[in-house]
Amino acid sequence: MQLQDKYRIALLSAYAIGIHALESLLPSPIPWMRFGLANVITVIALMLYGFRTAMLVTLVRVLLSSLLTGTFPGPAFILSLGGGVSSTLAMGLAAAVSQRLFSAIGLSIIGAFFHNMAQLVLAYFLVIQRIEAVLFIMPVITLIGTLTGALNGLVAAMVIRNLKKDIIEKMTVD
Amino acid sequence: MNKEKTLLRVVSALSSVFCILIIVLSLSACSPQKDNIYQKSKVLMDTLVIITVASSSESGAEIATNAAFAEIERLEGLLDFYSPESQISLINRNAGVSGVQVSHDVIELIDKALYVSEKTDGAFDVTIGPLTSLYDFHKHVRPDDKTIRKNLALINYRDLLLDNAGYTVYLKRKGMLIDTGGIAKGYAADRAVETLKKQGIQAGIVAVAGDIRTFGLKPDGKPWKIGIRNPNATNDKDEIFATVQLTDMAISTSGDYERFFFANNKRIHHLLNPKTGYPSEACRSVSVIAKEGVFTDAFATGAFILGPVKGMKVLEGMGFGGIIMDNEGKTRLTPNMRGKVEFQVAPS
Amino acid sequence: MSFKSLLRDTSWADRVLFSALVAVSVAGIFFIRDVMPQGQSITIEVDGKPAYILPLDEDRMLSVEGPVGLTTVEIKDRKVRVTDSPCRNKLCVKQGWVGSGSIICLPNRIVVIIGNKAKKKGPDAITG
Repeated sequence: MQLQDKYRIALLSAYAIGIHALESLLPSPIPWMRFGLANVITVIALMLYGFRTAMLVTLVRVLLSSLLTGTFPGPAFILSLGGGVSSTLAMGLAAAVSQRLFSAIGLSIIGAFFHNMAQLVLAYFLVIQRIEAVLFIMPVITLIGTLTGALNGLVAAMVIRNLKKDIIEKMTVD
Repeated sequence: MNKEKTLLRVVSALSSVFCILIIVLSLSACSPQKDNIYQKSKVLMDTLVIITVASSSESGAEIATNAAFAEIERLEGLLDFYSPESQISLINRNAGVSGVQVSHDVIELIDKALYVSEKTDGAFDVTIGPLTSLYDFHKHVRPDDKTIRKNLALINYRDLLLDNAGYTVYLKRKGMLIDTGGIAKGYAADRAVETLKKQGIQAGIVAVAGDIRTFGLKPDGKPWKIGIRNPNATNDKDEIFATVQLTDMAISTSGDYERFFFANNKRIHHLLNPKTGYPSEACRSVSVIAKEGVFTDAFATGAFILGPVKGMKVLEGMGFGGIIMDNEGKTRLTPNMRGKVEFQVAPS
Repeated sequence: MSFKSLLRDTSWADRVLFSALVAVSVAGIFFIRDVMPQGQSITIEVDGKPAYILPLDEDRMLSVEGPVGLTTVEIKDRKVRVTDSPCRNKLCVKQGWVGSGSIICLPNRIVVIIGNKAKKKGPDAITG
């Protein structure tokens, strides 16, 4: 792996961990429901640098966040890992199928959906065990996930556009 | 390029597996239409009757339940001691005069009542009318000893003659009275269950106050769970002292806390000993489990009067299930109930 | 930097996906609400027929007319009691606050049934 790649991944992961940590400080009625702003980083990584980078960033983020908050290797870690990996996989697949089909927003929505579904499935097996409870909250979580996914996607698109502007400017200057 | 292609293939494979997993999970939650449980209550036979049925439709449950209530109401009309138009009252009015022709239900009930009277050696006696009519649990009235002694002489189930072929019932001596209070509710529960079955219901509970008849299994495949009221209950939490799981069985409980009042610091309750004329004090609660409600009702009454030891013997002899709490709080079980009763409040 | 231009950059697939998911989840919410068991309520029956069905979470006091007179029922803090009734021994009043089960005034033929969310551990019927 090139040095530049390593730096990139490290930097992106750092951003992701930082955002995730800050986000968890915000009060929320439902403890585990977040905006998932860290996913913005994943989307950006995916779109600018490819699937491998995105997946590595996700893995690093999940692992380090879990170690830092002391929830490794408990159920919270499993949920986080499952959600992160599934969402990155899904987004990677969607992007690979067609570069043009989905924008950052679409990808983010897909990521959010798979992230939530994976966590519900894992939560059912690990914690809840009552299928009615899981099915009951599924529509609500899907709705919230879709909305926050779209918002995250917008943020990601905004950042990408600015980054691309920078790159183009740099190129023209050179 | 090749590496990326393989990665792509791996990713697609994993994602497909994942999607299938989610779909399968959701589908497995959609099981074939399970019946729902419907419950309705109505005041009949001077108490609350609660009917619970398992049915695939609310209208089906409604129709069946109403038919069952109608059947109980019909039986009440035939058996009500306090209603002058009932067949029981007709028999009572003709005591010492003539036999009375009655319907099949009444003959069947009295036949069974006589059977229980025999088996409990008269502790349950369906001719206890002259005694029960002396007490009034609404107005807190109890008779004096002289009146009790006089009326005791009128109680003897052997003087109740039955002609099964001619559907005739005859009380030999004037003043004798039949009171079906200790057996009618169980009988009504049985008939109500028959009605529900005829209406196509496959599982349910008919509870005529504490006389309960269950049939079938709940929609989740489990037996019906019946709780036994705690005679020493002080609040919502210790309301029940034990539960049993029943499949196609009936259960009745006779307790000294159902109808009572206090006089001179003594509890005067409705389970009267036909031989002494006073409430029986050795037991606090007697529960009987058997196939038919008519027997659980009558034997629970009889066993209560007989006391914890004799009562238990009779129940064992009949092969019934029995749970008796005596006045010291001690609980006895028939051998066939051991391991089948779940105690909520630790028995002493 | 403006959101509007970003939104214009969304593809048709994005929009279809978004709308579809929102629609399906909203429909799901309504569907689930229909299928879920009812919230707790009490049923007051007069002479065997339901006369009132009221939610448990609204405090209120009401008088129910029975054949003998008016029975007053009070709902407070998700519990029910009969405060007054024209029966002789006032057994229904003496029961006090009840959180589950029923309160019966036989003389006035009034039954107050507290509809219980099926307690997983509770019995299906009580004898005795």
